[in-house]
Amino acid sequence: MTKDFAVPPVVFPSGGSPAPGANVQQRRVPTAPPYQPPRPSASSSIPFMSFDIGSASATQGGPFGGAIASSSSFGGGSASFDDEEPLLDELGIHPDQIWKKTRSILNPFRINQTVHKDSDLSGPIFLYLALCLFQLLAGKIQFGVILGWVVVASMFLYTVYNMLAGRNGNLNLHTCTSLVGYSLLPVVILSAVSLFVPQGAGPVRFVLAGAFVLWATRACSNLVVSLADGGEEHRGLISYACFLIYTLFSLLVVF
Amino acid sequence: MYNNMGPQQGMPRPPGNPEPGPFGNPFTGAGSGFIRGGLGAYGERILGSSSEYVQSNITRYFSDPQYYFQVNDQYVRNKLKVVLFPFLHRGHWTRISEPVGGRLSYKPPIYDINAPDLYIPFMAFGTYVVLAGFSLGLNGKFTPEALNWLFVKGLVGWFLQVMLLKVTLLSLGSGEAPLLDIVAYGGYAFAGLCLAGFAKIMWGYSYYALMPWTCLCTGIFLVKTMKRVLFAEVRSYDSSKHHYLLLFLALVQFPLLIWLGNISVNWLL
Repeated sequence: MTKDFAVPPVVFPSGGSPAPGANVQQRRVPTAPPYQPPRPSASSSIPFMSFDIGSASATQGGPFGGAIASSSSFGGGSASFDDEEPLLDELGIHPDQIWKKTRSILNPFRINQTVHKDSDLSGPIFLYLALCLFQLLAGKIQFGVILGWVVVASMFLYTVYNMLAGRNGNLNLHTCTSLVGYSLLPVVILSAVSLFVPQGAGPVRFVLAGAFVLWATRACSNLVVSLADGGEEHRGLISYACFLIYTLFSLLVVF
Repeated sequence: MYNNMGPQQGMPRPPGNPEPGPFGNPFTGAGSGFIRGGLGAYGERILGSSSEYVQSNITRYFSDPQYYFQVNDQYVRNKLKVVLFPFLHRGHWTRISEPVGGRLSYKPPIYDINAPDLYIPFMAFGTYVVLAGFSLGLNGKFTPEALNWLFVKGLVGWFLQVMLLKVTLLSLGSGEAPLLDIVAYGGYAFAGLCLAGFAKIMWGYSYYALMPWTCLCTGIFLVKTMKRVLFAEVRSYDSSKHHYLLLFLALVQFPLLIWLGNISVNWLL
């Protein structure tokens, strides 16, 4: 079923031509004649497609052999596949940085704020998805609710912090959202742990939730106060605002 | 829960001139970056007019919100004591004024226990929403949508309180007190509500004792505050009309706060 179709002449800049096997001598001419797929040997009916951009998929046809020009011989103008930036870098997701920041929150007694200096939102998105996943495992579909509450909570904290800090306050919304998101880690752990706590143990759940909420509050308020100016003398007031935020999230988890 | 604190003394204040914006131009004061960046930009985009137009309109309705957030721990503790136990406040209820740039303006809340602030109302409102969610959850009726409706109910209650105070001021005088002042006074009711809500969670029957107490205390607080505000804003002092309105103000607290404190899934009741 090999079709005989007219393929426009292909010029190979390297001078060498892809040798499919048969008819090699005819192809040695630098100005290449119209390239036609070898008819008799084609056991697969895949017609050969020519690509401008050097893409490895051009070498799709098995019987054409590995001698079919690799991407480099097609040349072309665009960057080849090897020169492209890694996908994660292009998206701005740095997994080692996320891991470092998450690990810094894991220790409730010593907050390392230098690692949080450049804020990013991909870690909080990852933590948000983890929280939604654990809630889903508990039978509650709350994707939109949690996202909305995170946005409202970060705006609330941003407003309160900048109003309290006055002229010196320089917390910006991106950093605020990043910190609120990273400090959700204890709530994520709470929702994972509360999957295993039996349903009837009321006070145990509350005590557990209280401990994790206090952890999250401590992490968030310490980070916010140490990363932005003007919050030192209002530490208690800001930590009460953080406490309210994380109690709200723990309500979602506990009830 | 709220800590206890001691009362503070206030100085008797000479009658100040009632002006809509005694706190200076909000766009050169502290917080100017916040307002200019936030509201100015959106105003330009939304209204499509120049930002000066938007800024001048905002100046007319909002005094500088930065003033209301100059608080510290000690102020918060003392103010909560004043709001929750107003009859224990031994000092005067008048606000201390200071001449600023040729005009009389009030001292910020750090220096004056009688000055209104916006931190306590916002935090009390947030605590009310959280406690309401908690008590819904204890009855097994917690859903995020129910919590959203409770948030709306709290906002409506705050709005009604502000309307009540505004109408009282308007019917007696010029009603020129800054809007954010009235919003702050209206929001102090949530502090008492939080106390009652917390007691309800701890032991169900204490709610029935604490709710009338809260209404009474909020009523007394508002009456004493409004008396001073009226004295400042109103030219003629018509004694009986004043007193009847103030009494009405205190009595309306009862149904309003009982409605706000009744936390159930049907938010209208």
